[in-house]
Amino acid sequence: MANPGRDERAWVRGAQSGSVADLEALFRDHWPRAYRAAYLVVHDQTAAEDIAQEAFLAAVRALDRFDRRRPFGPWLHRIVVNRAIDWARARALRAEVGDQRALDAASAPPGVENTRELPAEIVQALASLSPEHRAVIVLRYLMDYTPGEIGELLDLPRGTVNSRLRRGLDALAGRIPAEEL
Amino acid sequence: MDRELRILLTEAPVPDERDAELRAWNVVRAAFEEREPESPSRRLPLRPLVVLAAAAALVAAALSPAGRDALDSIRARVSGDDEPPVALTRLPAAGPLLVVSESGPWVVRTDGSKRLLGDYDDASWSPRGRFVVATGGQRLTAVEPDGDPRWQLTRPETLADARWSPFPGFRIAYRAEDSLRIVDGNGTDDSLLARGVASVAPAWRTRPEGEYVLAFADRRGVVRVADVEALRELWQVTVRGRIDGLTWSGDGRQLLVVTRRSLSVYAEPGRLVRSIALPSGTHTTAAAFRPGTGEIAYAVMSEAGEVSRVLLATSPRGGSRPVFNGRGPLTDLVWSPNGRWLLIGWPDADQWVFLRQPGVRRIVSVESVRREFDPGGTGAGSFPRVTGWCCVP
Repeated sequence: MANPGRDERAWVRGAQSGSVADLEALFRDHWPRAYRAAYLVVHDQTAAEDIAQEAFLAAVRALDRFDRRRPFGPWLHRIVVNRAIDWARARALRAEVGDQRALDAASAPPGVENTRELPAEIVQALASLSPEHRAVIVLRYLMDYTPGEIGELLDLPRGTVNSRLRRGLDALAGRIPAEEL
Repeated sequence: MDRELRILLTEAPVPDERDAELRAWNVVRAAFEEREPESPSRRLPLRPLVVLAAAAALVAAALSPAGRDALDSIRARVSGDDEPPVALTRLPAAGPLLVVSESGPWVVRTDGSKRLLGDYDDASWSPRGRFVVATGGQRLTAVEPDGDPRWQLTRPETLADARWSPFPGFRIAYRAEDSLRIVDGNGTDDSLLARGVASVAPAWRTRPEGEYVLAFADRRGVVRVADVEALRELWQVTVRGRIDGLTWSGDGRQLLVVTRRSLSVYAEPGRLVRSIALPSGTHTTAAAFRPGTGEIAYAVMSEAGEVSRVLLATSPRGGSRPVFNGRGPLTDLVWSPNGRWLLIGWPDADQWVFLRQPGVRRIVSVESVRREFDPGGTGAGSFPRVTGWCCVP
């Protein structure tokens, strides 16, 4: 039976030795969730692509110093989610000085084009939350981190993580369409 | 509901997923193939060093003859210990940085992760790093390091230069235009301390704990040191020239007063204990006491603004030795909490430079600083300011 942790360590070791194939294996394994996580926080596909891509570029730049005993995923996810929160906040701040489209992308439900694939109800419900709340929901329910692990990733007390999860779930309650289940 | 939410977030398609992956992989692979793996036995050609070397001739022309020999020796020492510029993936010493960019203030943790705190113009740490006090427009806000506001105070004036008192941190001093005010650390009991103050951040005396002694400058060029609790002035000193900065030594016994043309250290009751001579043809751009010592790092720039130098004044009688040279201004000098690393802001190179002390044992450079603090932007804005390197909570 495959051992994902062992695979990942082998890929990191191979990439550190210069193997493009191992780097690609690492990239293919982690890209989908990295991009999805960024998208769910920022609700902007271009920004999500930039954020996830920048996270992988940061990984490439730091590859030689990466400690192979530690899992790669949490390290990458921390970069992705924190950058996504910062992007959403920055766009919201810029919007305050007149960029209404930026405000729409940062904090309001996306337009019809973006709701085509992810159910509009869930996107709207997520968009009604702050970026910080969205990030906690994404880390918990997409990335499967425990509240304690989320606290470590975001430098938050566990109690704050739990309260954000509760508030997020309250906002989402009743907005998940049954036909999607 | 947990299960349903998990299924939705995990499985529902997101826009452009596959094409984004293809585009990103091409970029990541190109970056990987261009990278040069680090090797302990090999040193790469160094951009900071190249710039250092290029700047050396200009520095030599701008600084005194005595400085040229020192410059050569420093450059030689630096060359064996420099490292190629890296992205912001870690800090060389523990403790978070507080950085203010055009987007607002940011907390940068030791692992390089960052958090934008909100729409503020300036910010500084609370004594143990549990909060940040930020100003923006007519608001003063105590913010948790993850950006959650704890409390906020609003006044009719424009607020600036908020500084939290040392441990236990029961007071915050801030400027409301030309007035200096004090508010409790929980946002209550806001009161006026002085009018007619200069546009300089006030400085809390660092020790002894539990005392609230504040140094500030007035518009007539007088530095005043006051007991904030007793509302009593302890001493004052008149300084020639516009005052640019006030900083206490770690033991709270010495106050460094920075003007464009002078670096003067005073002790109670206004006694000048040290005056640092600037290299000829230069003016100061930054200065900071090294934690746990009486050493002072300071940056000077040639009058034409072409080159700058950072020097370390190690003792009252020992003079200063240069530790870094760079083209253009050097904007920030911030010591790590353990006093082993000195952070230098270098806008012309778009870098932070970290120097390992004592001596210059290592140089670590962080590149593309503007872009790091301009999410979603081009990084074309002003160079971010480092306003503090906090204690380890």
